[in-house]
Amino acid sequence: MPETAAVSIRKLSKSFDGTEVLRDVSLEVKPGEVVSILGSSGSGKSTLLRCINWLEQPDRGDIHIDGDRIGVSDSGKAMSRRELASMRARLGMVFQGFNLWPHLSVVRNVTEAPIHVLGLSKAQAEERAMALLEKVGMVEKRDDYPYTLSGGQKQRVAIARALAMQPKVMLFDEPTSALDPELVGEVLGVIKDLSKEGYTMVLVTHEMEFARAVSDQVVFLDKGIIIEKSHPSEFFVNPKTDRVRRFLELEAPVV
Amino acid sequence: MDSSAWGLLAYGAWTTAWISGISIAIGVILGLFVALLRVARIPVVHQVLGTYISLARATPLVTLVLFIFLTAPTMGLDINRNVAGIIALTLNTTAFNAEIWRSAFNNFSNEQREAALAIGMTPWVYFRRIMLPQITITSLPGLVNEMSFLIKGSPAVAVIGVVDLARVTNRISAVTYEPLPPILAAAAMYMVLISLLVWLQRLAERKANRLAV
Repeated sequence: MPETAAVSIRKLSKSFDGTEVLRDVSLEVKPGEVVSILGSSGSGKSTLLRCINWLEQPDRGDIHIDGDRIGVSDSGKAMSRRELASMRARLGMVFQGFNLWPHLSVVRNVTEAPIHVLGLSKAQAEERAMALLEKVGMVEKRDDYPYTLSGGQKQRVAIARALAMQPKVMLFDEPTSALDPELVGEVLGVIKDLSKEGYTMVLVTHEMEFARAVSDQVVFLDKGIIIEKSHPSEFFVNPKTDRVRRFLELEAPVV
Repeated sequence: MDSSAWGLLAYGAWTTAWISGISIAIGVILGLFVALLRVARIPVVHQVLGTYISLARATPLVTLVLFIFLTAPTMGLDINRNVAGIIALTLNTTAFNAEIWRSAFNNFSNEQREAALAIGMTPWVYFRRIMLPQITITSLPGLVNEMSFLIKGSPAVAVIGVVDLARVTNRISAVTYEPLPPILAAAAMYMVLISLLVWLQRLAERKANRLAV
């Protein structure tokens, strides 16, 4: 039996106010695979990522997470809020703007969903949270509030918060774009560690060197269409299209 | 002023405190529900509540108190003057509170909502655990402001014969023929009630500073 894809996207299309942002996009992410979605701004890459956990609803096409369709229940109707929530709990998302909950301390940001979504006890959730805060190097800040943290620290907490749900797939939406240049490294370091541990990840990023280092597959979106899909060794060295060649010259000048 | 005058004042102050207190407690919670229903934009319900809020905000408290007291019997409701007063105060403050809650809803960050939904919270868990604790703190200055307006507007219940802190001064001066001392004493008692609220507000604001990202 063939292995079930962690994420399977088939013929996805999406328009905003009559402007098509995704057209017939198909993509398979295997378990343990790291896929980077590249493209210039407005190419639809963030929208594609946000469709995967149904923060945006596609107009056509379907998405399966670990074999189960998201957004549409078996009867063909739109999923109930409860069904949708339990599908989303299997996906971790890290946002460009961190989106931490400011009224909760670092450790409570991480324990909130395990307690109130998964039903873990406070002690279990805290044990899990502390292990993850250790992993992202934020143990000392456990009782601090988000407003006291730097951008890089916030993003590392946000990653721990997503991991606490033990998701099948991690989605990263430009995780370093809002950071000062000197803070980018600490966040990329954490993501790189996760890729080594075998996490399945889909990553929208502008960090070309990083995408090249961690990805098993690179996807290039242009005006809502995937125009290239290949291994990074192929993508960055031997792009098939002029569009990607021009993009790479601008984004990552060859040394 | 003798001790019986002070006794009357204390009685009036207590009446003002409990009638206002009940109206405030119901009004804050009811205001939250009205705001929730308005934000949900359910057809008809939305328009009905919008009309209620406009009417309640435009009506002087005295008029509302008289209206409730005089129309209740014609609708077959047998209510005493205290209950009529509480209903009128509650209807008034609920409308203002609903607008305070609603603006907090509308200004709440969509990013936090997306983070909650993405992690698998249902909209209800998100509301209870993420949104409500924060909008309660950010709304509190406005709510406390409205509470103090309500207390200061509460003498309106005197028109239907409730003997509150303002009304009781008339009774005292009717005996002593010295209107100023009881009025000054009553003013001081109003200030004590309001300063209790202001103290509460300051406490909340200190907590709210933490939410400034």
